[in-house]
Amino acid sequence: MKELLRIENLHASIAGKEILKGVDLVINEGEVHAIMGPNGAGKSTLSAVLTGHPAYEVTSGSVFLHGKDLLAMEPEVRAREGVFLSFQYPVEIPGVSMVNFMRTALNEKRQYEGKPALSAKEFLSLMREKRKMLELADKLNNRSVNEGFSGGEKKKNEIFQMAMLEPCLAILDETDSGLDIDALRIVAEGVNRLKTPENAAIVITHYQRLLDYIVPDFVHVLADGKIVKTGDKTLALELEEHGYDGIA
Amino acid sequence: MDTMVLHKGETYEHVFLNEPAVNLHIVQEADSCVKIHVINLGTPEQRDTEIANRIFVEHCGENCSTEIYGLACLTDDQQETFETHVHHLTGGGTSNQLIKFVLDGQAKGHFVGDLKIAPDAQHVEAHQTNRNLVLSADAQMRTQPQLEIYADDVQATHGASTGQLDEAALFYMRQRGIGEQKARQLLVGAFMKEVLDKLPTTDDERLTTLLNTIDGVVE
Repeated sequence: MKELLRIENLHASIAGKEILKGVDLVINEGEVHAIMGPNGAGKSTLSAVLTGHPAYEVTSGSVFLHGKDLLAMEPEVRAREGVFLSFQYPVEIPGVSMVNFMRTALNEKRQYEGKPALSAKEFLSLMREKRKMLELADKLNNRSVNEGFSGGEKKKNEIFQMAMLEPCLAILDETDSGLDIDALRIVAEGVNRLKTPENAAIVITHYQRLLDYIVPDFVHVLADGKIVKTGDKTLALELEEHGYDGIA
Repeated sequence: MDTMVLHKGETYEHVFLNEPAVNLHIVQEADSCVKIHVINLGTPEQRDTEIANRIFVEHCGENCSTEIYGLACLTDDQQETFETHVHHLTGGGTSNQLIKFVLDGQAKGHFVGDLKIAPDAQHVEAHQTNRNLVLSADAQMRTQPQLEIYADDVQATHGASTGQLDEAALFYMRQRGIGEQKARQLLVGAFMKEVLDKLPTTDDERLTTLLNTIDGVVE
């Protein structure tokens, strides 16, 4: 099995406060890892640090993506290398249409990979195909990015972007929060359909519910900035029953 | 300054593009319509000039309408003052002003928005909005709204805000693989778009060229 991501002794802080206190994690191609944990454990910090959010400072440790030093890359380079974050709170960008946003993102990635830009026709038919999968309305195309989208539409739109960009590592940060059961099913089906033997996913969640739909190979418990326990999918059920107190 | 009189029911629409100074005094008679677009994109030949725009509109008959749209993109040491005087002397009229500045380098922007509604000018609807985007630490924006409303049965709103690029939006775009420079361009283009969307469709070659240039960034 080929290694995709290696996190070694990762420490990170925000505004001088240490949040991650030595995270170790290895993810191989084809695997789905769930990261669970109480509020404030550092789950969202981990996704912010992996994607290069400027507010966080890595104080020690290293992260390798396909053997390359991920922490040395700018956020956009990490994205072009295949790291994708489904945001817990997708950002609204008034005045920038979904079409324009997505086309720019996809073509910047293709340019990075040495591929020619897609023509308008090729791009639009790709969009149509991927949108169908997420049951996203056509009208959202010409609207500004996330502007006026419902909570469910925003989350579907994240997975739609993931389908367009075909990342090797998808990080889903609390993708289930604020979703009703129908939207959850569509989002989870989208994620499952995008799974290949070469890519991997990190599913960050507070609740076990999402893991009924996206079945993880490993479940990790993050508490106080460290992974304190690792198990298979049954660990999630155990947590649901007994809470985090018994473990952390 | 020349005074232009718009007679009953007449319409005047004009686009001022990259002009060093716009100085207008328009007297509107009943049911007349004014639409003014002042766009200054800080072209290289404009870099060393100080621009002063002054637009003075008076409603002297019932039910006039006035729209003023301004956009200034300034950089280096460029300075621009945008002064509007909209005086509703008669009732039933509408006015809508949207003025935006994008400031980079050591540029200085100054907006003066004088809006008067006379005591007898009832049922007027007047809106004045000034939004500014400051891209560098050294750029400065000064906003002076001056509202004098003497009639009681009117709808008048004004809003002014000056801010920087939305960092959350910037990170979101970079997380999708859009380079930082390109992401900034997209956000600035989106900010400008609201004013540019008001432009009339035209066969003015300069304007078509301009919009195509911006389209490359915006759409």
